[in-house]
Amino acid sequence: MTGRLILQGNDAVALGAVKAGLDFFAGYPITPASEILHALVEYPGQVKVLQMEDEIASINACVGAALAGAKAMTATSGPGFSLMQEGIGLGHMVEAPLVIVDVQRVGPSTGMPTFGAQGDLLQCRWGSHGDYFPIVLYPNSVSEIYTQTIHAFNAAEESMSPVVLLTDGCLGHLFETAELVDVPLKTRTARPLGGGSRHFTSLTHAGDHPKATVPSAHQELIAALAAKTAGVAARYAFYEYLPVKGADTLLVAFGAASRAAYHFKGECAIFRPIRIFPMLEELAEIARGYRRVVVIEMNAGQYKLLVEALIHRPVGFIPLLGGAVRVSQIEEGLKKCLQEST
Amino acid sequence: MPARKYLRPERLPTYWCPGCGDGLVVKELAGAFGDLGMDASNTVLVSGIGCAARAPGYFLLESVHGLHGRAVPIAEGIKTARPELNVVIFSGDGDLLGIGCNHLVHASRRDTDLTVVLIDNQIYGMTGGQKSPTTALGVKTLTSPDGNTDRPVDCQALVKAHGSFYARATTFHLPLLGKALRAALTHRGFAVVDVRSQCPVNFGKRLGFKNAYEMLMHFKKAYRPVAGEVDRLGPGEIGITR
Repeated sequence: MTGRLILQGNDAVALGAVKAGLDFFAGYPITPASEILHALVEYPGQVKVLQMEDEIASINACVGAALAGAKAMTATSGPGFSLMQEGIGLGHMVEAPLVIVDVQRVGPSTGMPTFGAQGDLLQCRWGSHGDYFPIVLYPNSVSEIYTQTIHAFNAAEESMSPVVLLTDGCLGHLFETAELVDVPLKTRTARPLGGGSRHFTSLTHAGDHPKATVPSAHQELIAALAAKTAGVAARYAFYEYLPVKGADTLLVAFGAASRAAYHFKGECAIFRPIRIFPMLEELAEIARGYRRVVVIEMNAGQYKLLVEALIHRPVGFIPLLGGAVRVSQIEEGLKKCLQEST
Repeated sequence: MPARKYLRPERLPTYWCPGCGDGLVVKELAGAFGDLGMDASNTVLVSGIGCAARAPGYFLLESVHGLHGRAVPIAEGIKTARPELNVVIFSGDGDLLGIGCNHLVHASRRDTDLTVVLIDNQIYGMTGGQKSPTTALGVKTLTSPDGNTDRPVDCQALVKAHGSFYARATTFHLPLLGKALRAALTHRGFAVVDVRSQCPVNFGKRLGFKNAYEMLMHFKKAYRPVAGEVDRLGPGEIGITR
């Protein structure tokens, strides 16, 4: 499907996934992500949908389906994403290509189910135990959700790993006019399960031999996973940079918060990472041109920590908490940041 | 022997302790594959974590060794994506009836066409001998030094609640185990073969059994085969239900 439509973000995920060739979806109902499941049951014969008993079952079913050759996806929100973490690590370990959509809501715990947030950023990078190197994409409009969903599938196929598509409760339920722009699809080269004698194991391994007591095997495995995802991520270095003449402040924002940040694009430059992880080196380069860098995000300071580590200097920070995204709040925050850095 | 072509002798000796029952179950399953002439290229093994979960590594078939308790949903994903594959799960009592019990109940409810081989040794063997979901009342383990007070999970009741196939055998009653495995593999829908097995190192020793042989002789005395197919097996009965 291409053309202009009025859609909500969650529907754009479903349309993008179908366009990308989705074969298999397993999920569990959760606000504010359920519409993705609702949309996908409308494709019988095309997408096999399992409503599982929980998110743990959902992610594991996706790993199984992916190894069996399917393009697989699950969709959830914070509490379910927390439950999926062990299974995401499994997906990286057995190199299962799949897409996990996290429509973020206010946490911790049950939090504010119907309100959007950006509190899962560090979880999607480091939520599972051990070392892994996920590709994470975070669009900020319904049009972009459609396109980035397809990119997420492509990145999963190329990296043979779970890719996270982040959205948030604001974007998931945001209805707006969307332009559906397609991108070419990547196909899988790995042979699906069956017909050979491969042993996919969650243990540290070399080839299909478990090597659970060999440090060098683990070192080689982790180095290979890191190199593989870094190579693929380089082809998905999506971001938006809006410079403005004479500006000395660079705002860094993404997802729903970036929509509010656009209000200040006349006075401040804006950098919007779409590929949230691995972090974009381009930000380090661009930040050099600005006296101050201010991160605006819907959490108590997650990406801010990483931006500071990336650009090696303190950054200003405007938290948007409790589901409220107000221009007035950003205005006040900016005033404070200006005072602090003058 | 037709079973041999499904196995990987180059991976021997196995990872298991001397006297473990897991190897007997591997041999019987490979034998059942051979008896049924199953297509190795179309058969996939799935397991979670635990001693029993290491079994797929000894088969010359494609296999997935996943997460503790999650063999069933991984297998459901595989079977749903590729219904033409025969999908067989190896699991233990901790894996299937403890951490993964929720999945057992729901896969049975969905009647997904899977065969589950449950190796029930009534103990967490791999981690050193803690009480498991099927440890009998009163039994002393590492974590029940004064005797287990938790009632054991009734696997048959869970599976039969949704009308799924359930069979019970022991590692002493190998012909019956072979028959149960063949029946489960040819059953269309969710099927569980519950195999009472011995863990001489981390369980038998604490119960006063000197070796695996004594445990097998105990199974011989404690379990009574039931002929034909019945609605439900009583305590101490082994056989096939439909």
